[in-house]
Amino acid sequence: MVASGPTEPDDDGPPAQGGGGADGDLPEAAGRRLGGSSFSSGLTVPDFAACLQMGLEPVGLVQGFCVMQWGWYGSGSPYMRGMTPYAFGGNAPRGAYSETYSCPHGGYVYSNEHRIWGQNYQQPWVESAWAQGFGSAYARMVEEAAEVGAHGIIGVVDTTRHLADMNVTEFHILGTAVVVQGGAAPPGGTPWTTYLAGQRLAKLVEAGYMPVSVVAALSSVRVWAYCVTEMLMEGTLSRFGGGYLPVSEVEQLSRAHIAARSLAREHVRSQLGNDTLQGASIVANTQSLAQGDEVIECALRGTRVRRFKDFDPLPAPRPTVRLT
Amino acid sequence: MTQPQDLPKEAGHRLEELEHGLFTSDLSVNEFLLIKEAGFHPLGFVMGSSIYHTGIQARRWSKSQELTKLTEAMYNARELAMTRMEEEADQLGADGVVGVRLDVNYYEWGRDAAEFIAVGTAVKAEDGTSHRNKLGKPFTSDLSGQDFWTIMQTGYVPQGLVMGTCVFHIAHRGIGQTLGTVGQNVELPNFTQALYEARELAMTRMQDEANTLGATGIVGVRLEEKSHQWGSHTIEFLSLGTAVTKSAGDVTLPKPITVISLDN
Repeated sequence: MVASGPTEPDDDGPPAQGGGGADGDLPEAAGRRLGGSSFSSGLTVPDFAACLQMGLEPVGLVQGFCVMQWGWYGSGSPYMRGMTPYAFGGNAPRGAYSETYSCPHGGYVYSNEHRIWGQNYQQPWVESAWAQGFGSAYARMVEEAAEVGAHGIIGVVDTTRHLADMNVTEFHILGTAVVVQGGAAPPGGTPWTTYLAGQRLAKLVEAGYMPVSVVAALSSVRVWAYCVTEMLMEGTLSRFGGGYLPVSEVEQLSRAHIAARSLAREHVRSQLGNDTLQGASIVANTQSLAQGDEVIECALRGTRVRRFKDFDPLPAPRPTVRLT
Repeated sequence: MTQPQDLPKEAGHRLEELEHGLFTSDLSVNEFLLIKEAGFHPLGFVMGSSIYHTGIQARRWSKSQELTKLTEAMYNARELAMTRMEEEADQLGADGVVGVRLDVNYYEWGRDAAEFIAVGTAVKAEDGTSHRNKLGKPFTSDLSGQDFWTIMQTGYVPQGLVMGTCVFHIAHRGIGQTLGTVGQNVELPNFTQALYEARELAMTRMQDEANTLGATGIVGVRLEEKSHQWGSHTIEFLSLGTAVTKSAGDVTLPKPITVISLDN
């Protein structure tokens, strides 16, 4: 049997930074569904069986949504391409990442033909909007789970979908609310949450860790390429050097990718407290808005876990061979 | 055994052949072995179909609302296909149908019409015990052979594939609303509530079906969304899962053992 929750009700709030509260705004249909006599579960049958084996009883499929509008971002918006928000001597917000690159060719007139400067800069407004969408959807899911008296939510799945025709983005988070048979309610009444389910969760508990909450964060870095980056990306004859450009690293892009990953890790680390992250998954996407204008977005998610017992060595595994 | 009400003649011939001992199934070899291991025998591949004219329903540009006529049409069409599949299984004397798949197909020749198909493999308990559901019909489930074996080990038995659907029109945003939030990263509560409400309605209806079957719960719930041919603002939310009941008292599941694969 698993423990019924984290041991200290310290800072186990919504996972994403800036997550909005969602108390009391569940639709009426959610209340009717959750008040029904039968349970529903989004678990696969093997995960369902493993859940029963661990002493977890499913009580309902719970979910949360949030539809967000993405605004434009000052002069760096798609409506004003070719200008970064810091183009006219402005600085990035305090503590945000930004780097400036200057032309090494002695150019002094800025044009789209020869960009004499470029910038990488973090977009905290995008990150906080994502965190608000994710956090609100998460809070609603947890609210549904609390309504059915759940101790935890397992097998959490989160999806983000862009509804193109409506120019909005929908955050959808769902999981299966469970009660620990014979267990006490979690401290503070807030259910714990985890992306894990089935045997993966059983192995985590076997190793002496309890899930605390899912954690997720998005980092966003905009790249406004300068002349050297543009020429390297085009891979053509140098218009200024007269010969082929040497094989070399595209430093501005490399640094932007490194920064995006590093920022995502920082955002998640700030949500962990003294706990650790398990099953981290990092996904980076690059979107080209125009020539030399790119956005790198990096999403990092995982389960925040806390040790509750010492690790008992597992029995020696039995070797098997599949006949398929 | 009840006689099928509206199955085509050809189905009758095919099913008669199956009654003489030959069986067909879309089970894989592993699924077949596990169905046998669970104490069941496949009787035949069964199906049901319905071509349904889904029509149109007026919707208001600026109002999020359920399109009840379309919801009803989508529900009835699937129900007809499922019932016909159950009739085929019933004619074979089956206890249930496993591996049910529900599909919707559109054809060029049928504007606004869609074919709803339900297919699966009818099975019967080898020891002669009846596993029919509370309504006396063969149970249906979308469980694979492996899942069927596993669920039987947990002391739960399938009762029926349950579903709930809701066709919802998501309102367009007016000029005033759009201008009011220009340039901002904000939640759009109307959209959130509309999508939320639609999914919850679909899931509530699925749960109501499970209650009719006297189910303890529903496993493997999945939510599907399709706009079919209605445009992006009209979406069908379909919730599907297998309703189960607890058949026995407490079942002690064996503790999993650790293995190490010697395969690549």
